[in-house]
Amino acid sequence: MGQLLDGFATALTPTHLLFAAIGVLLGTAIGVLPGIGPAMAVALLLPVTYGMEPTGAFIMFAGIYYGGMFGGSTTSILLNTPGESAAVVTAFEGNPMARKGRGAQALAAAAIGHFTGGIIGTMLIVLLAPFVAKHAVDIGAPDLFAIMVLAFIAVTSVLGSSRVRGVASLLIGLTIGLVGLDEMTGQQRLTFGSLHLADGIDVIVVAVALFAVGEALWVAAHLRRKPFVPIPVGRPWLSKADLKRTWKPWLRGPAIGFPFGAIPAGGAEIPTFLSYVTEKRLSKHKDEFGKGAIEGVAGPESTASASAAGTLVTMLTLGLPTTATAAVMLAAFQTYGIQPGPLLFQREAGLVWALIASLFIGLTLLLVLNLPLAPLWAKLLRIPRPYLYAGILFFASVGAYAVNADIFDLLLMFVIGVLGFAMRRYGLPVLPAIIGVILGPAAEQQMRRSLQLSDGSLTGLVNSPMAVVVYVIVLLIVFFPLIRRLLPSPTPPAAPTPEREKVDA
Amino acid sequence: MTATKAWLRERSELGICALLVVLGVLVLTDAVRIPTDFAQRGPVGPKAVPILVGSLLLVVAVMLARDVLRGGRGEAEGGEDVDLSEPADWRTVLLLCGAFLANAALIGVVGFPISGAILFWGAAYALGSRAYVRDPLIAAGLSILTFAVFNNLLGVPLPGGPLMEVF
Amino acid sequence: MSVKVWVAVATALLAVLLVPPLLTPGADSGETSQVRSLRVLVPNQPGGGYDITARTAAKAMEDADLLRNAEVFNLPGAGGTVGLGRTVGERGNGKLIMSMGLGVVGAVYTNKSPNSLLDTTPIAKLIEEPDIVVVAKDSPYTSMQQLVDAWKANPGTVTVGGGSAPGGPDHLAPMLIAKAVGLPPKTVNYIPFDGGGELLASVLGGKVAFGVSGVGEYRDQIQAGTLRVLAVTSKNRIQGIDAPTLKESGVDVEFTNWRGIVAPPGIAQNDRDKLVDVFARLHKTSQWAEALQRNGWTDAFAPGDEFKTFLENENKRVATVLKDLGLA
Repeated sequence: MGQLLDGFATALTPTHLLFAAIGVLLGTAIGVLPGIGPAMAVALLLPVTYGMEPTGAFIMFAGIYYGGMFGGSTTSILLNTPGESAAVVTAFEGNPMARKGRGAQALAAAAIGHFTGGIIGTMLIVLLAPFVAKHAVDIGAPDLFAIMVLAFIAVTSVLGSSRVRGVASLLIGLTIGLVGLDEMTGQQRLTFGSLHLADGIDVIVVAVALFAVGEALWVAAHLRRKPFVPIPVGRPWLSKADLKRTWKPWLRGPAIGFPFGAIPAGGAEIPTFLSYVTEKRLSKHKDEFGKGAIEGVAGPESTASASAAGTLVTMLTLGLPTTATAAVMLAAFQTYGIQPGPLLFQREAGLVWALIASLFIGLTLLLVLNLPLAPLWAKLLRIPRPYLYAGILFFASVGAYAVNADIFDLLLMFVIGVLGFAMRRYGLPVLPAIIGVILGPAAEQQMRRSLQLSDGSLTGLVNSPMAVVVYVIVLLIVFFPLIRRLLPSPTPPAAPTPEREKVDA
Repeated sequence: MTATKAWLRERSELGICALLVVLGVLVLTDAVRIPTDFAQRGPVGPKAVPILVGSLLLVVAVMLARDVLRGGRGEAEGGEDVDLSEPADWRTVLLLCGAFLANAALIGVVGFPISGAILFWGAAYALGSRAYVRDPLIAAGLSILTFAVFNNLLGVPLPGGPLMEVF
Repeated sequence: MSVKVWVAVATALLAVLLVPPLLTPGADSGETSQVRSLRVLVPNQPGGGYDITARTAAKAMEDADLLRNAEVFNLPGAGGTVGLGRTVGERGNGKLIMSMGLGVVGAVYTNKSPNSLLDTTPIAKLIEEPDIVVVAKDSPYTSMQQLVDAWKANPGTVTVGGGSAPGGPDHLAPMLIAKAVGLPPKTVNYIPFDGGGELLASVLGGKVAFGVSGVGEYRDQIQAGTLRVLAVTSKNRIQGIDAPTLKESGVDVEFTNWRGIVAPPGIAQNDRDKLVDVFARLHKTSQWAEALQRNGWTDAFAPGDEFKTFLENENKRVATVLKDLGLA
């Protein structure tokens, strides 16, 4: 604790405070740009810090990191174009909210979720760093595969009204996920000899194409020809009812996000999806999901932010980067001649604690800067519809092209966009397709790795206590409805309806 | 003849079934040709998952076809800006596709600032904006601003256009 | 159409044509020795060997004012052949280089890649790095001999983790060891990970019986005592690491990984010379010397043509080794 206070003393000097503020602003600004996620934001801004002393530089990085993540969700909510993979899930509910004139609330829920998740996550760094360092590496392929199975079960709750169409969508996603070289043996799959496809199709490209391009085309086909009415911006702040619905998701986020961030190959995509499904299951407003349920923004954002904190633990204590952004940060450490690893807390205690303190400060600055900005951002949607959709297409194209400077990416985005159009026309939900792209390749790799570790024996899938626990949860979820039907029902079936009306009122 | 046409029009969702069948066959034929003789350990090789996904695609295609023939219809997605009471306006869709593809085709030839402006202006026109004075100026401004931010501030190079070498 | 519309369209057109060139005055003229906006392709995951080499070199170059706006980006996949394919595909692009090494040479064969490293324009070989045979601190194996005995008794369950796909250095090394101790390479249960970072977690967590990887990414953990090195694969012992060489442990294998830089095929002679020159100058800087020391790399600089000859020989050597192992 004393060391943390020292850290605050270092981080709260005017210069360092200024660095943190600049970092947060730059990170948010760059994170908003299409195609540039937090990893690239940190990489691009690396040169800015050359010549600074390490403590100042890392305080700035922390700001850029969190700022970049937040910027990614802003575009996700407003334009349906996620800036990074952790913000894909945010678009599910965030964008419908924005379209209904609740953009400011969505952004505020995201900002506060980000803050809460980040603060709790950072507190967990302080409290649990040694514990995480010891146990993160215990999580292996069978455990990860078990979690993927759980996630696949969870997909059933986003299949939509027609099961068969939902499954069709999921399979389309899985097919897209198959494209590329097989990770275990390097064999080509569905690449048709094209090198452009050899490294697979990035989930961001799929998400932006299905969400943004597909929607623009769909709107074009059925544009509501009516006198121009701007999207109402509504009240700028969260109402009491909103707060009542969001505080629990904010607090639940870190429970899902932090452990995922800390384990190798965990990342932020799967926990944000799991958080979304959890919130949907627990919400009293299930019918609002898909049409702009605020819980579906608050939970995943808090999860994403906490997962970022988890990532930092593994990187600082083990020298092990679990995400692309962490890897860039690791490289940044190394350019200053600092090697993160088990000895870092002893060797560079001053720097590490100043960095941790600056995480708290950065998150607070982020909230203070962005909460008032939320209504202003939301006003962006008041521009005329033709400009809005033209801007979305423009934005999506820049993002697809800028990163690899490859026209092929634009064509790929167009083809998947047309697919998104067809899916909208025939009532295939787009969400399961995205989940298929995220889950498919990861699940296959972990399964095959588990089986190889056990020398081909099927017990390799269940030979870890954690995997067993997860499978038990899976079985409970699958059979719970069955068990409940067998048990005598304690309440008459009519009871839930008046209860929900009361909440709505 | 017209009866068949009307029947098909009513069941155009069968096109999705056809798409799923095509995808399934594609995935299966691709999986079959993967060689498994080398460097594979364990019971599950690079073929297994594609074969599973491909077969499921075929199964789901059949199930969807059955659903459609029995009168099931996918519910077209609604939205704030979507008016489903009107028939699809293909002219707008094609114009929008044209604007998007024009950007892809031209970006390497005339540079991003021009192709990006064409994309924005074309898309705005397709969607019904008829401000002939304002639209090109906004498009050009947005395009130049984006170029400057990426190329000059961030150092992410974008093709600048035919006059880049002149100055 | 009214005059106003024409004026607006003309203004827009002029603006998009004229403003961008004016924003970037004198794109490449003037500073001929400095390389601008170079993109460095890293063909494996961030945090892996090629990645650290590329980022370290880029940083040292920027510090020494040899380079501006270097952008290091990762395109991982299939032991680096995905990145190689991209590099070969960017024929004539003098603003792209790829960080690579022995791993890519082998991966070309095992992955039956349509592109070969011989298609590229070799720029420079930079460093050498020995592999280490490493276990977690609570592993039952305390010496190479013990490990080899257990391995020979039960090759299927004594799993080997490596940071490269089949054909990469972390795969070649254990296969060579297996062969040397009389174990048929096909019985070795080798599990590929995406680079040394992911492997590190599996070794620390005891998921694999032992790991074989470059020493660079493991130094801090070794110093902290959480990892135990059983042997190093180089000819001589490595400073700062308390472990015998393979030969000293009774395994007759000598193996060193190396890393270098290649450019796409068909680049202008002028571009190639500029790139070779910039690496030659990097080699002389104090920043690079410092970086070598910090990372425990052995300097193995070989410019352009020299590297080309080396690459051809290495290509032959790896092909022979892989054929011996039944993999090529």
